[in-house]
Amino acid sequence: MTRTPARRLAAALVTSVVVAAAVVASGSAAHARTSAGPIKIGISLSLSGDFSDSGKAAQRGYKLWRNVVNAHGGVLGRKVELIVKDDTSSPTQASTNYQNFITKDKVDLVFGPFSTLLSAPSAAVANRYGYAFIEPAGGGPAVFQEKLHNVFFTQPAPVLQSADVFVKYLLSLPKSQQPKTAAYPSLDDPFASPIADRVRTLLEKAGVKTVYKTVYPSETTDMTPIMQKIASKHPDAVIGGTQSNDAFAQVKAMIQLKFSPKFVFLTNGPNDPAEFPSKVGANNVNGIFSTGDWFPQERSPGNAAFVKAYIKAYGGTVDTIDPTAAEAYAVGQVVQDVAKKIHSIDNKTIIATLHAGSWPTVEGVLHWNSIGEPQGSDLLVEWVNGKLNPVFPKAVALATPITPKPGWGG
Amino acid sequence: MHGVVQAIILGVLIGGVYALMASGLTLVFGIMRVINVAQGALVILAAYLSYALFTHLHIDPFLSILIVTPAMFVLGVAVQLVFVRSLRGPDASELSLLVTWALALGIEGALSAVFKTTYRSTLPSYTYHSWNVFGYQVGVVRVLGFGASAFLLGVLSLLLTRTRFGRAVRATVQNPTAATLLGVDSNHVQTLSFGIGVSMAAAAGAVYGVIYPFNPGSHYDLISRLLSIVVLGGLGSIGGAVAAALTMGVVESVVAVEISPTWAAFSFFIVLIAFLLVRPQGIFGLRERTL
Repeated sequence: MTRTPARRLAAALVTSVVVAAAVVASGSAAHARTSAGPIKIGISLSLSGDFSDSGKAAQRGYKLWRNVVNAHGGVLGRKVELIVKDDTSSPTQASTNYQNFITKDKVDLVFGPFSTLLSAPSAAVANRYGYAFIEPAGGGPAVFQEKLHNVFFTQPAPVLQSADVFVKYLLSLPKSQQPKTAAYPSLDDPFASPIADRVRTLLEKAGVKTVYKTVYPSETTDMTPIMQKIASKHPDAVIGGTQSNDAFAQVKAMIQLKFSPKFVFLTNGPNDPAEFPSKVGANNVNGIFSTGDWFPQERSPGNAAFVKAYIKAYGGTVDTIDPTAAEAYAVGQVVQDVAKKIHSIDNKTIIATLHAGSWPTVEGVLHWNSIGEPQGSDLLVEWVNGKLNPVFPKAVALATPITPKPGWGG
Repeated sequence: MHGVVQAIILGVLIGGVYALMASGLTLVFGIMRVINVAQGALVILAAYLSYALFTHLHIDPFLSILIVTPAMFVLGVAVQLVFVRSLRGPDASELSLLVTWALALGIEGALSAVFKTTYRSTLPSYTYHSWNVFGYQVGVVRVLGFGASAFLLGVLSLLLTRTRFGRAVRATVQNPTAATLLGVDSNHVQTLSFGIGVSMAAAAGAVYGVIYPFNPGSHYDLISRLLSIVVLGGLGSIGGAVAAALTMGVVESVVAVEISPTWAAFSFFIVLIAFLLVRPQGIFGLRERTL
């Protein structure tokens, strides 16, 4: 039997219809399978290596969110399953992990790792595959300078702008109480000196004279020579771009030199409620300012419930909760809200929707610009009566700021 | 000028503590040609012991020197007997570098396991006190630290110059073969000297923990400083180590105040290199003698 052109056409048509039907059937079967199954979320975390303390804190926050959300029926009726892989604090391993989550594990969503160093390359991987990259801890310039549209940083402000709130506070004071001179001793670290530099630029514009500035290397353990130089210039304010040990050492040196300026602001160190008093003496903390993105007593959406659940799950006191856990928890809150709003977990729609609205989290109500920089303000915290409290902006303050700083031991 | 004088005071006070650490290192080198690169780790180990005694038993860190020093002396003797003594032959010096480096890493690992890697500080109640001497602020702990170091260096010097053991040590430093021929038990001298070297690290460690925050990894920075001090002072010379340590303290402190903290650590190395170009054997070092 020879085939006529018409028969051939009919056969081809039938074949293609059958194939197409099969594809559709298998596609919808796969779709039905995933819809019924859990929502898989891939997260690379530094569970070993240099950032393991913070990596584990982020893991506690993520897991807590998963437990809470699953106890309430999951997201869109589906349970949440976290696939966590250790990146040993290595940026290369983190990008590999995200590559594998997306291409091999075929996760529905990815959440960010700990810190800028790992978030920057990981965000690029997620971007290549069209995944939203909601991340708790990558707030440094390296993340935003790539200008990726899929990045959303779940803290109130980018790291570089974290101390802007202190400038706003100083300028809100009556002119007579504002500092006239300032000194800026800062650690040579991408998360320390650039913040102090920014504060210096802003304050110089406002007429505050810079009497001293220096950047010291990370191996500097003795701050006495630097502080002695600063003391000889008698500045009204000491504004340090610090991490933690250097902050403690700066304060220790000021106390030993009996040098008590009217304002002391350190970007990090004093914002650790558990460590700071034990490192500089509990009676020396009062009047010292710092900033924070999150505070246990903060009246942000869901925060009280988060703190309660955290202590129930992990023990300890409110002061021992690492803010990184709250930042990670906020990532979950954002996803939960956006999924509810769009009735889907489609990454493209999530990205578009997150850019449009504002999103309530334990970190405050967040909204982002087109490259994922949060448009809010960090909290100004100050030690008042031996307790660390948010004191500015007024709307979130839990104590009245004290100025000038009382003398040491006061 | 006021600033420079204040910086010199700070530098001398800190230099004294480094002198104590370096004296142990240079003594051990002088006697057995062993560069104990674990000296920094031993200082940190002692800082932790003193910290633990202060935190758990409320023993003042300066008093704890009386406990930590003898304990670490025993440790030093044990280390010499078990690890160092067995190294013989022409490669002994090179091998001792590896052995003591392994010891340093072992101590670092053990401390990380027990105390974690968080920075610690021993903070007695008088940590923040300072005296005003002619308009200069002088921290109490620094003066106490310098005093304790000067006292122990004095004791070490008396031990070396006024006792039979000291004569045996000095004889061994000058000429080990002749000392043995004259009846000095060189094994005995080496073991005890290693113990003394470690106990100097121990005393300095207790002081170090009060002045600086430390973690198990702090020994890397320490040993690089100590080796530079010992080289500048002249290998094997305790007087040289003291002079070099004080030089380091003062140079770093003055540069940090007057120029920039970034240049502080580096400036000492410039002094070191410049000095060694002129006098390769160090401040008090003797020219290498050939036997």
